[in-house]
Amino acid sequence: MKRGQSLSRWNSLQARESRLAWLLTSPTALIVFGLIIFPAIFSIWISFHDVTLRNLNDVFHAPFVGWKNYVRVVNDFAFKFQNFRQWGAAVTSVVYSFASTFLTVLIGLVAALLLNKPFRGRGATRAIFLFPYVAPIVSVAFVWRWILDPRPSGVLNDVLMRLGLIGAPKAYLATRGLALLIVIVFEAWRYFPFAMLMILARLQAIDKTLYEAASVDGAGGWHKFRFITLSELRYVLGAVFLLRLIWTFNKFDDIFLLTGGGFGTNVLPVLTYQFSFGAYNFGKGAANAMILLTILLVFLLVYVRTVMRSTD
Amino acid sequence: MRENVRIGRNTSSSSERLNLIERLARSITWPRFIFAVTLTFFICSILFPFYWMVSSSFKSYAEIGGRHPVYVPGALRLDAYRELFDPNDPNFQNFGRNILNSVKVAVPTAVIAVILSTLGAYAVARLRFRGKGVLVNGILLVYLFPAVLLIIPLFAVFSQIGLKLGFSVQDNIPVLIITYLAQTIPVALYMLANYFRTIPAEIEQAGLIDGCSRMGVIWRITLPLSVPALVSVAIYTFMIAWNEFLYALVFLNSRSMFTMPIKINTIFNSPSPQPHVVMAASTVMTVPVVILFLALERFLEKGLTAGGVKG
Repeated sequence: MKRGQSLSRWNSLQARESRLAWLLTSPTALIVFGLIIFPAIFSIWISFHDVTLRNLNDVFHAPFVGWKNYVRVVNDFAFKFQNFRQWGAAVTSVVYSFASTFLTVLIGLVAALLLNKPFRGRGATRAIFLFPYVAPIVSVAFVWRWILDPRPSGVLNDVLMRLGLIGAPKAYLATRGLALLIVIVFEAWRYFPFAMLMILARLQAIDKTLYEAASVDGAGGWHKFRFITLSELRYVLGAVFLLRLIWTFNKFDDIFLLTGGGFGTNVLPVLTYQFSFGAYNFGKGAANAMILLTILLVFLLVYVRTVMRSTD
Repeated sequence: MRENVRIGRNTSSSSERLNLIERLARSITWPRFIFAVTLTFFICSILFPFYWMVSSSFKSYAEIGGRHPVYVPGALRLDAYRELFDPNDPNFQNFGRNILNSVKVAVPTAVIAVILSTLGAYAVARLRFRGKGVLVNGILLVYLFPAVLLIIPLFAVFSQIGLKLGFSVQDNIPVLIITYLAQTIPVALYMLANYFRTIPAEIEQAGLIDGCSRMGVIWRITLPLSVPALVSVAIYTFMIAWNEFLYALVFLNSRSMFTMPIKINTIFNSPSPQPHVVMAASTVMTVPVVILFLALERFLEKGLTAGGVKG
């Protein structure tokens, strides 16, 4: 009798807690489902329909066109790989994301190793190292464009010409190949602080006795780095790489502001924007975005299946 | 003082000066040298773009358009700032209006995001309820979907709703705030839930036993203990809205409604290039963010690694 009473009391308390939880989370849930989950699903729907600026006001009655939008995207000269000079956005996206993520993590690792050593002014240096990541993207992108100005009065041109490294001014962001390289370097410059912070947190948690033991065993600096530091950092490096790769693959602002997607730097997010808000073909834009997401999901699946399993 | 004495002695006797050089040479080892060079390289390549932004903003049109770059501006000329802010300037940009627009978007986003995510985060951290897993996983999806994928359906749906209710999707600040909430609330909720978990549950239980209601506990115990976390989340969401480019580019159409990033983009792409004005506007936009960050660095750094800034 007594136990039954307390049980029902517990139940009602539990029920009250659950009701309160739903009350508290309902605004968040509404926003997350209304503005993230639903649009994502609706995007699939749009990609199979002919939606342009003309019928945007009557979008739910847009004609069904099957895979036509996808076929159009895949055959678009801006999307598909044509030859080694014209990579197309799909290949460029993959190359750009992997290269800049790799460089970001590498520079982040070097920066973290620098800041892991005690020296005077370390706190201030650490704060300075975070500037590129904290500053607004519009400001830093335009400063870079201004530094890379193609006229002889551009700073980089002036410096390199004074040093005798180049004979004539270069149009860094308007030269095929070079532009992609610059964009990759920009990504690493802007996002290495994120990798640095994550790696630094892990570095400072490494057990110091491991290094002492290795010294006793006669290990040199390189061996200690390779077999202790790197192996302790394995998981965090993997996690940072994955996160940065997803975000870089999805990134629109950086390339749009630096090159507008020209000169061999067009990537899938910028192409999606061009299809939907340049040509106002929302169906084609949505199809392109779905292809982007599919590539990402396939990669994630492969990553989780191979990398995660092998490090288990 | 002691330093002075030592230097004085060194200059007086040459043998001791040799000693000092020898000591210095001995203290510079290869690893230390490489360390110093790498550190210098990092600091220079990080700070130079910021120096170039601020210094260019103080240059005159002649200094900007010259044959060679001017590395140090001749004087702190305010030509560019006058163009941005002085109504009497022939090329007046009315940038004050754009600052105001950015504030009008970023402040409500930060306030609403903090309020809503506090409630949600408390439930996620402390209460047991069905569907919690679905909610938390749904929130994490925001990290996976590119903004450019979500903006097409959002644009279509909002113009549909706008047509029914009689408002315009474009140049509509509340619409922009709502889309920013979708970008910021998941991040804010994630950070706050992590913070709430670090508050010992016993303190709240004591409050409950003393007869407080759950809401009373949140208001009187949890929130006062979370002020630092709330402040840093508010600043994060503010920064995300302050810096956001894509949604503002799509949703804002008339110059008077532009937020700062879109205005700077417009000035940059205007037919006659005015890099010093672009740099002045960028400086105005960057300085508050960097100062806010430096002032609250201790609080904010945790958030950076917790995915505080997506992107």
